[in-house]
Amino acid sequence: MGYQLSKQQAAEMFQKLSKTYDLFAPVRKKGEGCFSDTDVIRYEKVSSPEEIAWEAKSDYSFKEALLPINETLFYFTEDETLVPKAPAKARLVFLRSCDLHGVKRLDEIYLKNGYEDYYYARIRTQTKFVLMGCPSSCQSGFCVSMGTNRSDEYDAYLKPAGEVLYADFHCPQLEAYAAETGAAQAGVTPDYVTENHEKVTLPKKLSNESFSNKIWEEYGNRCIGCGRCNFVCPTCTCFTMQDIFYRDNEKNGERRRVWASCQVDGYTDMAGGLSFRKSQGDRFRFKVMHKIYDYEKRFGYPMCVGCGRCDDVCPEYISYANCVNRLAKEEEAHEE
Amino acid sequence: MGLDINTKKAKKNAFRISKERGMGASRIRVPGGYLNAEILGMVQEIAQTYGNGIVHLTTRQGFEIEGIRLEDMDEINQKLQPIIEMLEINQTDPGSGYPASGTRNISACIGNNVCPFANYNTARLAKRIEKEVFPNDLHFKIACTGCANDCAKVRLHDFGIMGMTMPQYDPSRCVSCQACIKGCKSLSVDALRMENDKIIRDTEKCVGCGVCITKCPTRALTRSKKKYYKLTLMGRTGKRNPRLGKDFLVWADEENIIRIILNTYRFVKEYISPNAPGGKEHIGYIIDRVGFEEYKKWALDGVELMPETILNECLYWDGIHFDNKGK
Amino acid sequence: MKNEYVPQLSEIREVIPHTDLEYTFRMAWEGPEVKPGQFFELSLPKYGEAPISVSGIGEGTLDFTIRRVGKVTNEIFENYVGDRLFIRGPYGNGFDLEQFRGKELTVIAGGTGLSPVRGVVDYFARHKEECESCTLIAGFKSPKDILFKEDFAFWKNRISVVLTVDSAPEGYEGSVGMVTKYIPELTFQNPQNAAFICVGPPVMIKFSTLELLKLGVKEEQIWISHERKMCCGLGKCGHCKIGGTYVCLDGPVFNYTEGKDLLD
Repeated sequence: MGYQLSKQQAAEMFQKLSKTYDLFAPVRKKGEGCFSDTDVIRYEKVSSPEEIAWEAKSDYSFKEALLPINETLFYFTEDETLVPKAPAKARLVFLRSCDLHGVKRLDEIYLKNGYEDYYYARIRTQTKFVLMGCPSSCQSGFCVSMGTNRSDEYDAYLKPAGEVLYADFHCPQLEAYAAETGAAQAGVTPDYVTENHEKVTLPKKLSNESFSNKIWEEYGNRCIGCGRCNFVCPTCTCFTMQDIFYRDNEKNGERRRVWASCQVDGYTDMAGGLSFRKSQGDRFRFKVMHKIYDYEKRFGYPMCVGCGRCDDVCPEYISYANCVNRLAKEEEAHEE
Repeated sequence: MGLDINTKKAKKNAFRISKERGMGASRIRVPGGYLNAEILGMVQEIAQTYGNGIVHLTTRQGFEIEGIRLEDMDEINQKLQPIIEMLEINQTDPGSGYPASGTRNISACIGNNVCPFANYNTARLAKRIEKEVFPNDLHFKIACTGCANDCAKVRLHDFGIMGMTMPQYDPSRCVSCQACIKGCKSLSVDALRMENDKIIRDTEKCVGCGVCITKCPTRALTRSKKKYYKLTLMGRTGKRNPRLGKDFLVWADEENIIRIILNTYRFVKEYISPNAPGGKEHIGYIIDRVGFEEYKKWALDGVELMPETILNECLYWDGIHFDNKGK
Repeated sequence: MKNEYVPQLSEIREVIPHTDLEYTFRMAWEGPEVKPGQFFELSLPKYGEAPISVSGIGEGTLDFTIRRVGKVTNEIFENYVGDRLFIRGPYGNGFDLEQFRGKELTVIAGGTGLSPVRGVVDYFARHKEECESCTLIAGFKSPKDILFKEDFAFWKNRISVVLTVDSAPEGYEGSVGMVTKYIPELTFQNPQNAAFICVGPPVMIKFSTLELLKLGVKEEQIWISHERKMCCGLGKCGHCKIGGTYVCLDGPVFNYTEGKDLLD
């Protein structure tokens, strides 16, 4: 059921929601971008609609709301471990359609694929999703190509328009918060884009043969292995375990998991000196193949959701989207 | 009838008396070297109407229109008026050209409008300083540079202003990729190391260049909200004893730097040699004569430094000496 | 829901030194059945975890043969006496003995690669009747690197054993040469019924399987075990992934038909 909330009603709803939920939404952090006097939009706790960056795609995806960049798995003494308590509050995560499709990818790895992940699961089961519409396409996204431009899997949909906030709910518990404010009912359907500036065609015939493609070496020569593409990606899920000890008592410490990147040195290094995919080209190929081929082979659908963040963030102007298109084009040319 | 021209006045009016009799050049100061391209057309018109069609880009980021006839100075001043207005140069009598030339154009690197390394908007600060200090006949050289790379060569100026940023570290966003450590080591001063998989910054070594921040892939390292500056003093070229400017304030703020510059004008007025040729004496020479302690007293008058600002109490300049051979 | 990340303390029951660098740690174990070729995450808090394959399965104990190569294993070497380690596992598929019953089995192992197959070799050495024949070709860098010397002494009377070293000082009486040197000499009563296990460093696996294929062995008759950085062991962290395969979940043991396509 849809609602139209006045500014005051919206504020009231957010206030009440904040009592039950931790609201994670994209926030424009002034001056915290890479360069001087530039901003970054990334996820943070909010308590009012004004704090949310509705106007643009976030630079970093929602995933840190479910998978903290640093997550303490347990504290240890010499012979005991203690698992930190789960967050006290349930979560509301504000995100766009591409990212909502990303949730499915995170679930695939963290709830399925072998074992259920204790830490992810305990947050995930307490999380509801608030869709933010896209009235127009962002520059780099290709959600339409990836079929992620629409999603009905939201618990709530919110859209600010001037002085009012439109809302639609699939989740009755959340809907109650809007109804309680006395907001008027209204027909609300989520905004979504039907065409992007960027269009991507996936190659159909990738295989181990694609390893010898010259394209990997070319991009490998340009890539600096900084890992930004992985860290902004809503579907990259890798992490590394770290043990740290407390300086004042080295016998105590904690084990953490920390986001990892398959592009950064050390990712495959084993104790004893063995390492794999030493060249940046091999790593780039591994990443691209994973997003559009290997993951699909295992789980039945492509990993990439077409948000375009990796293209936005690359300091070397490597376009993953263009790389994929080039692979598809080469394939086509080969057939003719 | 011979040309009857007050060359002293002409020079202060930003005209050069050229080596060719009767000819001169018109000098246009552009604070921060930052201008609307429309001005280029105006400069072109003056050069083609009054000059020989040639313009020199000066070392201090101005234009010098060469080959003008000294008798055209008044007319040229009229033509300069829209340029002076667009550049928002302080002026007492509209239409009379530039009111002084002693305090040189405030030059600047391109700054953070464009450069990824710059820590502040150098052109904005250059313009602000220009507003504070110009016009003035005293010979001051001031320059602004965006970061410790010092592309604007501010250490060759009486006052060098170098952008700094205080890296803000959020360990909860750090993924231990070490991009900052590698960046600092290869591009800056090697002030970072890792302990317990997190970054430790050697605050003694750090020059606030911000390289670590540009290298960070997760925004674990960001810039301080406050903009910081290093103020270097009394760099100079010249015939006798060229020097590089020395760090006076580190992690300083804009307001205090401007106060110190203005205080220095008062100091120079008090102590400049009455015999200075053309009323022009390098500030550095004056400080050499009266001593740094005395200068510091004047410079820091009314200055309240932020707690994080480091003040170098005692400065000593060396440099190349040409006048003390055998001493 | 079980928290797979939290390890359990396990007492070190016995330490068996093989070389200066390699010891076997016999650890107390009460838990599900463990297969050879499976691995555990062993850790000392503050030094982190290391994936170590099970080199022996006893009554209430598990053996881990550890090579001192990184900060975790270094620390384990320094701190073992009367001590306990944190362990979690077992992870990975391991070797399925069923697949080798009644076969003419040849195990080719290089260095610490012998650890994950030691259980398989030992089983058939003790239960000779359960396979048609069992041959072990084991290679080490030099005589001082040889592991499981007591096992070799036992095995050589029960199964066919080639124990070779890449190079040896003068006067060494054992076999010298790479494991690949001995592969062409293999003979079979019924080549169709032969089975092969190849475990060791990636290069050794590559050249050994090439030699086997030259003998006319079919790909499906060969099993290999992949070494990768297995950080979580749970199919989450991604470090061990090759293409769409998670070595920690789908492996580390692969039939060659599958394993040959795992390219980094």
